[in-house]
Amino acid sequence: MVAKVVSCVGIVSLVFGLAVNLAVAKPDVESVANNLDMALAEQVFSASEQLAPSCDDATYLRRVWLDLVGDIPTPEEVIAFSLDPSADKRRRVVRQLLESPHYGQNWARYWRDVIFFRALDERALIAAGAMEADITKRLNDGDGWDEIAVEFMTARGDVKQNGSTAIVMAQGGRTEETTSEMSRIFLGIQIQCAQCHDHPYDRWKRKQFHELAAFFPRVGVRTVRAMTKRSYEVYTIDRFRDRKPKNTETRPTAEHFMPNLNDPSAKGTQIQPKFFLTRATMPLGTSDADRREQLAQWFTENEWFAIALVNRMWSELVGEGFYEPIDDIGPDREASAPKAVKLLATKFRKSNYDLRWLLETICATEAYQRESRPRRSSEGTPFVANVPQRLRSDQLFNALYSALDIRETPEKTTPRRPGRRGQFAKAFGYDPSLPREGISVSIPQVLTLMNSPQVNDQLTGGRKGILGRLLHEIRDDEQLVVEFYLRCLSRQPEQEEMDIALAYIDETPKRRPAFEDLLWSLVNSAEFQHRR
Amino acid sequence: MNPSLQHHISVAVRQKRVVGRRDFLRQLSAASLAAGAFSWTDAISASADELRSRGMACILLWMQGGPSQFETFSPKPDHANGGETKAIATSVPGIHIAENLPRCAQVMDDLAIIRSMTSNEGNHQRATYLLHHGYLPLTGVKLPTLGSNISHQIGDAANQLPGHVRIGDRLPNSGGGGFLGVEYDPLVLQNANRPPQNTTPSTSRERYQRRLGLLDSIQSNFASAAGAQVVANQRKLVDRAAKMILSPSMDAFELENESSEMRASYGEGDFATGCLMARRLIERGVTFVEVVSRGWDTHQDNFNRTRELTAQVDQPMATLIADLKSRGMLDKTLVIWMGEFGRTPQVNPRSGRGHYPKAFNVVLAGGGVQGGQVIGQTNADGTAIEDRPVAVNDLFQSIYHTLKIDADQENISRVGRPIKLVDGGNVVEELFS
Repeated sequence: MVAKVVSCVGIVSLVFGLAVNLAVAKPDVESVANNLDMALAEQVFSASEQLAPSCDDATYLRRVWLDLVGDIPTPEEVIAFSLDPSADKRRRVVRQLLESPHYGQNWARYWRDVIFFRALDERALIAAGAMEADITKRLNDGDGWDEIAVEFMTARGDVKQNGSTAIVMAQGGRTEETTSEMSRIFLGIQIQCAQCHDHPYDRWKRKQFHELAAFFPRVGVRTVRAMTKRSYEVYTIDRFRDRKPKNTETRPTAEHFMPNLNDPSAKGTQIQPKFFLTRATMPLGTSDADRREQLAQWFTENEWFAIALVNRMWSELVGEGFYEPIDDIGPDREASAPKAVKLLATKFRKSNYDLRWLLETICATEAYQRESRPRRSSEGTPFVANVPQRLRSDQLFNALYSALDIRETPEKTTPRRPGRRGQFAKAFGYDPSLPREGISVSIPQVLTLMNSPQVNDQLTGGRKGILGRLLHEIRDDEQLVVEFYLRCLSRQPEQEEMDIALAYIDETPKRRPAFEDLLWSLVNSAEFQHRR
Repeated sequence: MNPSLQHHISVAVRQKRVVGRRDFLRQLSAASLAAGAFSWTDAISASADELRSRGMACILLWMQGGPSQFETFSPKPDHANGGETKAIATSVPGIHIAENLPRCAQVMDDLAIIRSMTSNEGNHQRATYLLHHGYLPLTGVKLPTLGSNISHQIGDAANQLPGHVRIGDRLPNSGGGGFLGVEYDPLVLQNANRPPQNTTPSTSRERYQRRLGLLDSIQSNFASAAGAQVVANQRKLVDRAAKMILSPSMDAFELENESSEMRASYGEGDFATGCLMARRLIERGVTFVEVVSRGWDTHQDNFNRTRELTAQVDQPMATLIADLKSRGMLDKTLVIWMGEFGRTPQVNPRSGRGHYPKAFNVVLAGGGVQGGQVIGQTNADGTAIEDRPVAVNDLFQSIYHTLKIDADQENISRVGRPIKLVDGGNVVEELFS
């Protein structure tokens, strides 16, 4: 009886499983991860290469938390994970984190920074909130990267309602700037260098840039005034009453004109839309919707679309891209691991551009799981270790709030009054497309953590704060030191660190100030501000 | 949070900071009085004198976006390309500049205008990099920016203020310490109206020192492997920041200490307060201060927008030069006015001007530069240089020469590759004759 039931279930799940597999058919995470590591071993590492060992569980947990959901684990999670004897716990925690709503939130904030750090004008920030909310939802719903890209490329409407208008809005609807950003963000190719002259070291010609721009002339940005609110909208025009097309960057025009460099006041040359990577063209006179939808399709079918994204994500997680800088790639650039990047891009495409699949796969590689080492010099071998990444502003903000057990209260924010998180970003934010080696700590950042009332009021041992509660709850100094390390650095202190802490407590006449100082030091340490 | 509440909070924060520092100063002055020393203001000005006698300094007035030469220092009222901008006479007979700069016209005796700057870089990012480094970006080498090189070469390491300060928020592609290290990165102030924030130590001085000691000792673990670089960088900056905020030189950031007449003389706006702050910082031994003015990328409505921008820059710049001069500081302080390129001679149908690196302006004053002269010229329509082209490396050679720095010196980058401060180029000798 029992056997029969089991066999029935077996058959059902076999049949059903096949059907599901046919429908989804994602490449297997483990085998792709293995193949990636093999590709690196074959093509990048020498036989005697000194690879950093796999990091310990506590490091891995803090790493995946910060990378996937932009926060640090609680002490309880660190302990539970370290004690869990199961062999697949690393993979499991990655899956759990990817199902958390904070996954979408974390990466939406990443993309918000990618887009708005390049905004032409501060006014554009009015669109940041809607963009963050929309992308959070799309990511949590599991939308493919191609679907998300198509939305960005074809968006129109009120920028406070449709977050996908963000890229056009950030560029003020200007044809050439919008074109440059679409290419940079989705293809990783900086074709705008050819805007004014033929590119000095790329194959792109000036005309090719303007042919790409010819997909966007009918898009513009204008203010929307209603009784109660003020916003902007991305709008398009397809019927041009006056025959003379206005030569303007911000208002829609029927067609794009390439300026005459010798005579900028002339109208320039009318340009037909043509996609530089495939040479596919569209006729003049095509409607805006057809132009942008067609281009979005051509973009998302192109190999560079997949390469640009996997390169970006790999760089964010492993510490260095296959191509650097991550947004200046293309057929004229050399990858540091051609086989691996090609493999990952191909499989990503096979997964239907599933972002969760991509992150899960990267997290499963040995390359990702290696201990971190300082960033290599230009002579060093890439990917022999992970690299400590300075936390993005939102990650650091979350880590601070988690470590100190502060609840974030919702605030109504505007570009002028950015709220606590936005204020924090003014000091700690950076453009995530820039090479990370150029992003270092600054004096205002150091001062904010050392002295700002926002942080330091939480570090005093009053009754309300976490410190007061813990001082009361945990009477044993050694245990309290462990608790602090778990909270801030998601690991236990080494013996030497314990000795330092206990000696300090010993030298300090009172217990409370001693622990205040320890917590202050942990929060101000470089380790707290990085993911190792 | 409503604005007035926010205001109250920031006032409260400020007051806390001021009180904290006052206590601290009181302790120190008691000690110095006991030692028979003089008052604090004397001490500051004495040390500033000493620094002045030792060193040169530099103020860079940066016009982000690429200022139009026609609407500033090279008007062409007799040609269609000059647009509606008229020329005015200056304090130096025969030299005319745009009507938008009446105050600068009065200090023309101290200005050397280079009307024949030329480069090939018409892209904002790359040109901003070029005019800040004297080089285009090199892969694999993090070059130091001008201010970092200068503060590295002639800065006073004992000074408690950072040697390199940028006023006007972060500026992409303008660079930092590069391979010289984070200690040569600029201290970036959003604007000069507020002193740098969070400069009140969060505890008493003694406890603060102990905290700093504890912080340093707990960093060893991360520093021993993965975090070697980042901990080293962070230690340097914690050290610098702590030294700065515990120092009496913090007074440099208090514009309130200037008389209202003095503040009024610089004019209004962020650029004006930035210039005044620049003078205060140089006075207290800072080596390089950059003050940023934004919005010069006038593709549309060039004439109106440039008029607004010059109105923000003219008076502060002229006052800065006069103020430095009256304090006897101009001889040792080089003031540079520039942006990343110029603008097209032809006016487009949107009354705008595009990017034009082929011929643009740089203005120098002080530091031994001979004022009251124009170097180089363009043809009648402003499209080409007719006389004495000055390349970017010529300009950088001249800047280093003025500051008595040997531009042929080689810095050793982290990859062990020697890199000259400037690659090629010649000093523009006319600047000094």
